[in-house]
Amino acid sequence: MRMSVAASWVEAPLKQFVDDARVHYAVLLHPSGQVLGQYGFARSVDVMTACALAAAIDASSRALGMLVEGKAFPSLHYAGRERQIFLAEVPAPGGRLLLLAVFDWESSLGLLQLYHEEFRARVGEMAPPIAHNAPAIAADFEKELNKNLAVMFGRA
Amino acid sequence: MATTPFAPLLQSIIRHRGVTGVLLVGEDDGLVVDSVLQVGVNGAAFAALTASLYRKARRSAEAAGLGRTGYFELDAVDGRVLAAGKNELVFIVVAEARINVGLLRVELLKAVERLP
Amino acid sequence: MADDIRALSEALAVDPSSVAFVALAEALRKRGDLDVAARVAAKGVERHPSLVDGHDVRARIALDRQALDEAAASWESVLRLVPDHRDAQKGLGFICFQQGRFAEAAAYLAAVAEQDPDDASVAAALDTVRAAAMAGPRSSAAVTAPVADERERSTTMIPAVEEPAPITASGVAPFARRATWSRADAAILFDDLLTDVPGAAMHLDEAGLVLAGRYLTEDGRDLAAEVGAQLSGVSDEATRAMRHFGFGAWTQIVFETEVASVAMAPVGQGLTLVAAARTVPLGFLRRLLDRAADRIRAWVGE
Repeated sequence: MRMSVAASWVEAPLKQFVDDARVHYAVLLHPSGQVLGQYGFARSVDVMTACALAAAIDASSRALGMLVEGKAFPSLHYAGRERQIFLAEVPAPGGRLLLLAVFDWESSLGLLQLYHEEFRARVGEMAPPIAHNAPAIAADFEKELNKNLAVMFGRA
Repeated sequence: MATTPFAPLLQSIIRHRGVTGVLLVGEDDGLVVDSVLQVGVNGAAFAALTASLYRKARRSAEAAGLGRTGYFELDAVDGRVLAAGKNELVFIVVAEARINVGLLRVELLKAVERLP
Repeated sequence: MADDIRALSEALAVDPSSVAFVALAEALRKRGDLDVAARVAAKGVERHPSLVDGHDVRARIALDRQALDEAAASWESVLRLVPDHRDAQKGLGFICFQQGRFAEAAAYLAAVAEQDPDDASVAAALDTVRAAAMAGPRSSAAVTAPVADERERSTTMIPAVEEPAPITASGVAPFARRATWSRADAAILFDDLLTDVPGAAMHLDEAGLVLAGRYLTEDGRDLAAEVGAQLSGVSDEATRAMRHFGFGAWTQIVFETEVASVAMAPVGQGLTLVAAARTVPLGFLRRLLDRAADRIRAWVGE
């Protein structure tokens, strides 16, 4: 099993999403970059990098969305030659989370959108209020990130 | 939807008895290009999943040495889905189980031939 | 393909003496328009009697139409022009085998093997033919019913796209009459269902592995495992889709390719699958699938 979670409630919806959407990688994270669960990565450093980049992409695309449309883009898709990236918002009680998924021709953007909807619904039902998980202040960010990675990769 | 140049093609199929939805979908991304759907038909789900099924059938058939796939049909207890593709588009027909499959197959293949 | 056919037709209309008829006939053959393909090839050969490819394509079309004598005549024409033409020798070897003329089949295949000793498929086909020749005209010792007509040695033809390779289902046994089954029966479980239709049948378990049936090529290779592995993925996709369609469980999938029609149905924990040449009507294919499904249910004791 290549799935690991920092919070137990994440496991069921993330596993269902991975099984249905047939993605290679999936990460559920806080917009601050804190990881809550992941599938597919074998090394914590890769998860850390993916989370940091996803958080940065989310922040910049939100700003861009506000600039050009007056509202944030709810999801982003990038199609590479072999693999594609899907990054979308997941509303949760008291805040928002991000879902990053990497897939190839075995899946499709349409399938990602379909199963993202289901994932949103499950997270909405299962996630505890995330107010306490509000974006970490800069001083705590790395500590929180490392704590979650340590839990997920068994080094806590 | 049915607001694109494909609307007449979609309309020519939806008028058949038992047909509840007709969609034109991108084969690779599974997104709806145009559609005519009866109320209650989940167009996005039929589009994404049928395009995926069609793509899988096409790739599997090619890998098995059977050549390119034209017509595809999925029968279920309470309904049928028919599909045929051309130039990275898939024409999808959602229908009740009791339909004249032979007639719809011919109509579908004709419609696909008229795709650009 | 339609565009290719249109372009080739136009080229031929502009210049009827063009050798484009070979490509046009082949494209029509692949599309399953066998009557039109045969007419195009016949006219072309009439105009170009010394064009080897013309006779060759005519033979392939005749084979698809199961006009074996016509196919043999065309390949013999090829051999008169090019005595060591490999495809013609292979084709004639196949036809002779199909007609039970094992010694002649062996001679043709041996000639091919001599040209290319490293071709494993030809060697395998030659072994099959020689084994059949050794066993005599009725190779199955299990046969007890007094049936010995030619159809029971009949072969099926689903040409592959890359290199047309008719699929065979030889060595038919009267399974319907068997009281008990053994593991050895598994491979030829469906063969007697296929005596009247050019096709193949197999049953896959829940892991996509072949449980029964086979998918034989012209040269005697059984591609059931490869074909089954590829096509079983389609049923996984269908199972996932049904959760959203609200149609209940799926009962059958049918699709048509350039050269074959395929039908599959979930049976027990596995998947029963039949394939036939495009010339077989879809309605017939569905009935064949039903019969194959009934057979596997009886076999596994459902």
